[in-house]
Order: sequence, then structure tokens, then C-alpha cells
Amino acid sequence: MSPQELFDLTGAPVLLGWIILIAGPRRFAVLNAIPQFIIPFALSLLYAALVLSHFSQTGGGYGSLAAVRQLFTSEWVLLAGWVHYLAFDLFVGSVLAARMDRAGIGRLVQAPVLASTFLFGPVGLVLALGTETLLSGRSAMATLKLHPRR
Amino acid sequence: MAVIVSQEGVEAPAPRPLAVLAAFSAMLLALTLAWAAFDNRLLSGSPVWAKPMKFALSFTVLFATLAWFERRLSPGWRDGLILRGTVVVMAMAMLVEMGYMIVMAAQQQGSHFNLSTPFTTIMYRIMGAGAVLLTAGVAIFGIAVLRDGEADVTPTLRLGIGWGCLLTFVLTLATAGYMSSQGTHVGVAAAGSAVLPLTGWSATVGDIRPAHFLALHAMQALPLAGLWFDRVGVAKSRMAWVAMLYAVLTMAVFAQALAGLPLLPL
Repeated sequence: MSPQELFDLTGAPVLLGWIILIAGPRRFAVLNAIPQFIIPFALSLLYAALVLSHFSQTGGGYGSLAAVRQLFTSEWVLLAGWVHYLAFDLFVGSVLAARMDRAGIGRLVQAPVLASTFLFGPVGLVLALGTETLLSGRSAMATLKLHPRR
Repeated sequence: MAVIVSQEGVEAPAPRPLAVLAAFSAMLLALTLAWAAFDNRLLSGSPVWAKPMKFALSFTVLFATLAWFERRLSPGWRDGLILRGTVVVMAMAMLVEMGYMIVMAAQQQGSHFNLSTPFTTIMYRIMGAGAVLLTAGVAIFGIAVLRDGEADVTPTLRLGIGWGCLLTFVLTLATAGYMSSQGTHVGVAAAGSAVLPLTGWSATVGDIRPAHFLALHAMQALPLAGLWFDRVGVAKSRMAWVAMLYAVLTMAVFAQALAGLPLLPL
């Protein structure tokens, strides 16, 4: 299978995940699991396979912008980078959706925030975390405490 | 009342939708501030991010002001269908308006007054309809404050909020409607000619935006006058003068622009 063929295969499930997250109900655990778990997990597995198979052949690395560019001269690593975006953006989007639900942010405002996460990941992250924090600075900060005091 | 539950299981009342909209608008403002640090492209003489930034600031102030009004209403009005529906419509108008404006500005293209393709023409019309809905929403909040006998307001503040909102509606329709019919907010200014700091209003030719600004902010100016009158003990009847003076001032600034004169020449 060529990188382009794999690329084409990833489009539909990711789009499905985002549609469920943006427009679907949140009452059903099975439905929530699709964008929260199943699709990001499958994409992450694909990413791991691609990176393990092709990363070392490129001669690139993480040390400089030039080294990163060298990484992406390989179509396979380029595809892996894309799959990384798809997997992490959807997973982050579903985490943000759950957080916004908990903060009492309505679905109408969630929709453009999640659409921003879909298309330009960090833009949506800024909007979601920022809105949540402005609404209730304390509860947003409380989620940062990994070991809540007893 | 809807409640939210934190991770520690602490219950709190869910935030009011208007508070959510104010917080979200403030984050859009933060986004445009970050954008401003990296983008020096211009669009009709102003930085591309200037307009989304001004609108994000304006929406933050608008929704925070309405949230402040709403808090003073009795539960019957506050949680009634009319105001809940009004907030949903205003939210949709704001989201479409900000979304389109940001996407167009990022491509160095105009949003308002952009009739270059059928798509931008339709979007400009939609933005116009959205703006009318937004100001109509303000008017509905004003009427709610005037009609709600159990609202937590003094008689003077009631008039300040109610008339302020209605003035915003009427004056904005007049100034922005005229601006829209002219297809521009400004007279024929030479490229790169002087503008006022922060606002970007022309300092050389007539610019309708100062009058539009005054029109939009009657809903803050009159309630503030009401609060101040209560504090210093001015009679409620004087609010009629304030409303009239504010309308005259707005129309005078409007007339100045129509006469081709800048607000302040530089």
C-alpha cells in the first residue's frame, strides 16, 4: 500500500469521529468511545508502526529545523506526521469537549471551538481552556492537581 | 437550575450562557492579540487583525453588559423563553460573524463591504442580518428591564438600561444601515493618510464609525448615567435629558461625518 492510499483511508473515520464529537449526543458511552478512544487509538497504532518502520531511514532528527525537514523528506514519515495530527487532535478535541461539558459551556459555543481544534488544533485548545478558565479559574486550576489533598 | 460538577464532585451552578459568550469573546480577543505580534499585512491601510480584534473586544463588552443586566432581572424573565431564545440567536450571529471575519482577515480579504464574488456578497448580507439580530437582541433586553416589575433596579437605573438599549438599537440601525447602503465606512481618503490611534478612524475625511461607536455604546452610557444619578441624587426625570442629549450627540457626530469632516483632524 502506498502512502497516498493509506492517507486516503484515514480521512473517513477521522471525519466520522469529528462529526460525532461536534454534532452527536453525549449520552451514550458507546458513541462517546468512538472519538474518545477507538479512532485515536487505531490511528496511534498506525503512527507507531509507521515511525518504527521508517524514522531511522531518513537521517533526520529533532535537533534543528533542518533535521526535522530531513525527516519529512520521506513520504512515509510525512504520512506518520499527518496521522499524528489526526490522532492527537481528535483525542484532544474529545478531552476538551468533556471539559467544556463539565464547565457548563453549551454545545453551540462548543461547535466552533471543536471545529477549530479539528482544523487548527492549538487554536481550539486556546479557546476551550481559556473560556473554561475565565468562567471559573478555580475549577480549571483544580484539574491540574494530580494528587488532590485529602 | 442547571448545575455543573467538578472533578472533586463539588456542585456549582452552571454559568449563564451570557457569561460563556463573554468569556469566549475575551478568548477571541486574546487570540487576535497573539496574532498581532506576528502579522504585518495590511488590509485597506489597517493591520489585517485590527478588525477581528475590535469586534472581539466589542462582543466581550456587549455580552458582559447584557450579563450584568440579566442578573438584575427576576427569575421569571431571566429564565423565560423570550430571553433564552434571544441569547441563542445572538450567540449564533456572533459566532458566524467572528468566524467569517477571522477567516477572511487571515487571507487578507475584507468581510464587510466585500462584494467581489457571489460568496462574499452573500456572506456580507448574512453578516448584515446577524448585526440586525444582535442589536434587536439588545432592544429585547432593554424592554425586559423596562417591563419586569420585580427587577432589582432603581427607577433611574431602569430607565438608563431600558432607554440605553433602545437607543443602541435605533441609532445603530440608522448609522450602520447608512454605512451599509453607502458600501463603505469612510469618505475618499488618500491611501496611507492619517488615522486616529487605536480606533483606526480617519483623521482626514468623514468616517461614519465614530457615530456607529456612540450608537453601540448608548447601552453602557445611559445605565452608567443612571447609576451616577442615583449616587448623587439627581431626579429620575433627568434621564430623558440624558437620552435626548446622547441621541443628539450621536447624530451630530454622524452629521459631521456626512459633511466630510473627520472626528478629530490630524
